[in-house]
Amino acid sequence: MNTANLSGALNSGSALIATAVAAILLASCATAPSKPDGAAEARTKLTQLQSDPNLANRAPLAFKEADTAVRTAEQPQADKDLAAYRVYLADRKVEIARAQAQTSLAEDQRSVLSAQRERARLDARTREVDAAKDQVVTARAESAEQKVVAEQARGAADAARLAAASSEQQAAELQRQVDTLQAKPTDRGLVLTLGDVLFTTGRADLKTGASGNLNRLVAFLDKYPDRTVAIEGYTDSVGSEEYNQGLSERRADSVKSYLAGQGIDAIRISASGKGESDPVSGNDSAAGRQQNRRVEVIISNPAPGIPAASLR
Amino acid sequence: MNSILQAREGSLPRAAVVLGSVLLLGACASTPPAPTASLQAAQRAIATAEGAEAGRYAPGELAEARTGLASADRAVSEQRMMMAAQFAEESRVEAELASARTAAVKARDVNDEMTHSTSTLIEEMQRSSGVKP
Repeated sequence: MNTANLSGALNSGSALIATAVAAILLASCATAPSKPDGAAEARTKLTQLQSDPNLANRAPLAFKEADTAVRTAEQPQADKDLAAYRVYLADRKVEIARAQAQTSLAEDQRSVLSAQRERARLDARTREVDAAKDQVVTARAESAEQKVVAEQARGAADAARLAAASSEQQAAELQRQVDTLQAKPTDRGLVLTLGDVLFTTGRADLKTGASGNLNRLVAFLDKYPDRTVAIEGYTDSVGSEEYNQGLSERRADSVKSYLAGQGIDAIRISASGKGESDPVSGNDSAAGRQQNRRVEVIISNPAPGIPAASLR
Repeated sequence: MNSILQAREGSLPRAAVVLGSVLLLGACASTPPAPTASLQAAQRAIATAEGAEAGRYAPGELAEARTGLASADRAVSEQRMMMAAQFAEESRVEAELASARTAAVKARDVNDEMTHSTSTLIEEMQRSSGVKP
């Protein structure tokens, strides 16, 4: 305190007197002043800290106090204990400034770290979604057997859900739909038989105006999107076997095209021709042959919770 | 204008000389009163450091601050008031350093933890994408 004031007064004219008085007073206590040990090290530490681009200008008050303390420590001081005490204080204040600057730096870095973490979280979530999509793809690529297992599991889940919710109501609704469709529940699923009235003899394109029953099928498939259909074409025994096979295939394809054209996902529809191989009646009468010329639409039974047997 | 400046320049060193003389003479001769304010300041600084968990994050500095305060108290009882004031000041500054280092370590720990959790996330992502079929 007093030494600082004395040095500040050096510029003025009265400084000489002040210095002389101080020198006499100091001399009265101890021997001549000497350079304090350790002051240079404290100065070096402070200079290094001040030239650290990451830490300089971060804790201005602490830096100022450290600078003042180092200046004080650098004052020549004959009292060795007092000099050592000042050097000690200077060193500690430099360390305080360093610690405060480090704290400030860490706090500033936090926003960057926070942004990095948010980015990583987002990436992780995106990857989770991608992984889930991959799983769906994988599940689709599973073998037919696994598909059956999955189907059964889904069916069981559906059954549970139905039981828990309004299973009776849904069953009744399905029954109504099936009645509208005039489909027959079988072990293979709901079988809808489309007579030969759909087609002109020998041709595979659908007759115009023959789409009433097909539109009821479209409505049904719209309502039950988890159901798939297998379309099978059949003919009577008139004509060659090869021709009948081809005709049955084309007719099945026609029905498939029609359904797809009405917005039913083609993935849900398969079409095949059975030719004359599987008559439902004798081919020796016109009435029998007419019954044999048909397209059967087999609607899958995805929900064992409503077994086919429960339907009429 | 001139006279004011002269008055200022004249009065400052004179006051300094008087003050300096009193202090220096005091050091040589009579015993000053106990540095109560410095002792209290050191106690407060230690309490602040303790409150900030310096015992966990900067135990060396905190222990030194306590030792300094004990030395200051002993010096007071021995009537060495200059020594007591110095010990008290050392104790206060050391306690402030304990607080400052505690804050720095805590701030760094928070950042380390953030960095760690981020890299863990990234590692998990890479691992799960590596397992991907």
